[in-house]
Amino acid sequence: MVKPTITRREFIGTTAAVGTGLMLASGAKVFGQAKSANSKINIALIGFGAQGRVLLESLLKIDSIHLVAIVDIWDYARTYGERYLKKMGAEIRAYENFEDLLAHEKDLQAVVVATPDFWHAPITNACLKAGLHVYCEKMMSNTIEGARSMVKTMQETGKLLQIGHQRRSNPRYLFALNRLVRDAKICGRLTAAQAQWNRAVTEDFGFPKKAAMPPEQLAKYGFTDMHQFRNWRWFKNLGGGPLSDLGAHQIDIFNWWFGVKPTSVFASAGLDYYKNHEWFDNAMVVYEYPLPDGVARAFYQVQTTTSAGGGYFEYFMGDEGSLKMSENPILSAIYREARAPSWDDIIQKNYIRAKAAPAVPADAAKVDVRETAQLAEFEIPVSFNKPPHMPHLENFFHAINGKGKLNCPGDEAFSSEYVIHKANEAATERKLIAITPEETEA
Amino acid sequence: MSEINVFNHHAMATQFQVRIAAEEKTYAAQAAQAAFALTDELEAQLSRFRANSDITQLAQLAPGEKLRVCEPVFACLQIAQRLEFASRGAFSVTAAALKNQPTRPLWSLLPNEFSIRCDSGKLGFDLGAIGKGFALDRMADVLREWECPAFLLVAGGSSILAGDAPAETAGWSCGLGDDNSPQRYWLKNISLSGSGLAVKGKHILDPRTGQPARRQNRAWALADSAAESDALSTAAMVLSESEIAEVLAKNNSWLIFLHEEKKWRQLGQRPLPPSA
Repeated sequence: MVKPTITRREFIGTTAAVGTGLMLASGAKVFGQAKSANSKINIALIGFGAQGRVLLESLLKIDSIHLVAIVDIWDYARTYGERYLKKMGAEIRAYENFEDLLAHEKDLQAVVVATPDFWHAPITNACLKAGLHVYCEKMMSNTIEGARSMVKTMQETGKLLQIGHQRRSNPRYLFALNRLVRDAKICGRLTAAQAQWNRAVTEDFGFPKKAAMPPEQLAKYGFTDMHQFRNWRWFKNLGGGPLSDLGAHQIDIFNWWFGVKPTSVFASAGLDYYKNHEWFDNAMVVYEYPLPDGVARAFYQVQTTTSAGGGYFEYFMGDEGSLKMSENPILSAIYREARAPSWDDIIQKNYIRAKAAPAVPADAAKVDVRETAQLAEFEIPVSFNKPPHMPHLENFFHAINGKGKLNCPGDEAFSSEYVIHKANEAATERKLIAITPEETEA
Repeated sequence: MSEINVFNHHAMATQFQVRIAAEEKTYAAQAAQAAFALTDELEAQLSRFRANSDITQLAQLAPGEKLRVCEPVFACLQIAQRLEFASRGAFSVTAAALKNQPTRPLWSLLPNEFSIRCDSGKLGFDLGAIGKGFALDRMADVLREWECPAFLLVAGGSSILAGDAPAETAGWSCGLGDDNSPQRYWLKNISLSGSGLAVKGKHILDPRTGQPARRQNRAWALADSAAESDALSTAAMVLSESEIAEVLAKNNSWLIFLHEEKKWRQLGQRPLPPSA
């Protein structure tokens, strides 16, 4: 069986063939290749909430870096982080805020920022100006102006700014885009896309009573109370709501894969469920993308339900086939339109693999009748076994070491995130908003 | 008796339940949610069905290779190794590897590097007989952190971890077997797990022989931690009664119950909890 062609960018780490597919193996087991401590990139992790801890698990597996400090305004999170890292054998220092970090740590090369969105721009700008490279979680900012200021600072300082749209470094996404959509044109003419990330109704995040921050501490960092601090994503001055939290990843895929920005957006959304929140909880959005062959429409939804199933995915549909991508390989699939030309060639190249081979009649004059057969389904023969954020972080550190370009630099992320801000605006104003290519530039 | 709030969550291919007594409902719900969130994290790290879990990555190591793993995976494997030794090999997280390999793989914990090294074979770890118990232990840590000590945690009905007793009770009323079992105990700050063949058939392999479990009836284990009771109840399915006695002779914090001819018998030196 032919191995699928995979580029260096898609490759990311060490490869090892597995079965008829290609497994992108972990670069984590690299103790034998360890660099000297001096050649490692000294980094700090700013923000030790849920996302910060997710990133930490990837950071601990990357051998080219040395985590020297964590930062969090919440003593409870900071202490947890110190204890956890001590248990893991890592000696780190902990700071309450980024100003203290910058004042005390003089041998840093980079920071990873995973704070609430409204702190991204001030922290990123300060760190870039302090001469550090920055990996900042998406969204870049809760405001367009905040995001624009980050791009401006990136350009002025010449430092690297990677935004955490981690699918842009996911080898499966890179392979599917480059080999299947662009080279093999497996979808034919792209006509539509659909993506979703629904989540069940839950209680708001709480906190152990003993861990409540005093009001003056909360006010110092821009929060009115502990409820707002723990649920900042739902408040307009702090975050961008579900279209920003969840949709940002997937609407970014629309922009990345279509290769253009939408010309318009309209949306319907409501604060239907949580009366103590400010942002919408249910939202439906439609973009129009000007592709060379005509308009493609992209629908995105985030709803307060999961019982309908489906999980989280981005579905690209064309007149010859459909490709359903998800960070979860189990949710990914490829379907062929009956009118599509033969896929034998791309199967032979191992670009795709049939999940179950279509039945070929031994005697074309005979047929057996039973239950309706499943639609022929294909899969991407590439998997990788790293934590989802790890390739994107590695891409950032490789770029710092001069071994490649960022997969999602600040200016590219800005133009993608701009149209996400516009979806919230369209839903708020309940109207169709036109978008020009020029306005998506920082 | 004070009100008991009950919360459910789907994880690890089963239903987890958190019951919290003596706490305001919203606060209890938020505490339960924090515990469930941890369970989801643990599932992502411990599952052999997740393409990017440490357990999946470990299965791809060649002999001599090692992998740095996250703290929960290391801690769970550390407990598993201790229990494999204590159960004389009747519990092993590599038992399922015998389906694909002639002998069980060998592996080492490297505490200084927080790593697991593959010494031979392929590390086909299956934490199905300890992972849910391990998750309950970690969930209990969360609830104690939230100062909700009167809790009962349930993983799929096969493992429970009881915290403090609800007010004005001697504990949580826990039965051995089907609903409303007559064999019941008041449990607090202790864990109970059961194993059997009624739901999944002959799925338990004796790691020492690769053969299906010898015991046809259910077995239960009582221990201080749910990781222990979960693993021990599985071990009890493959150990002979004399072997169980030998294992328990060296571990007086464990108690094993066997169900034969419609009767329950307990083995071990740990005093029985009060009957409910």
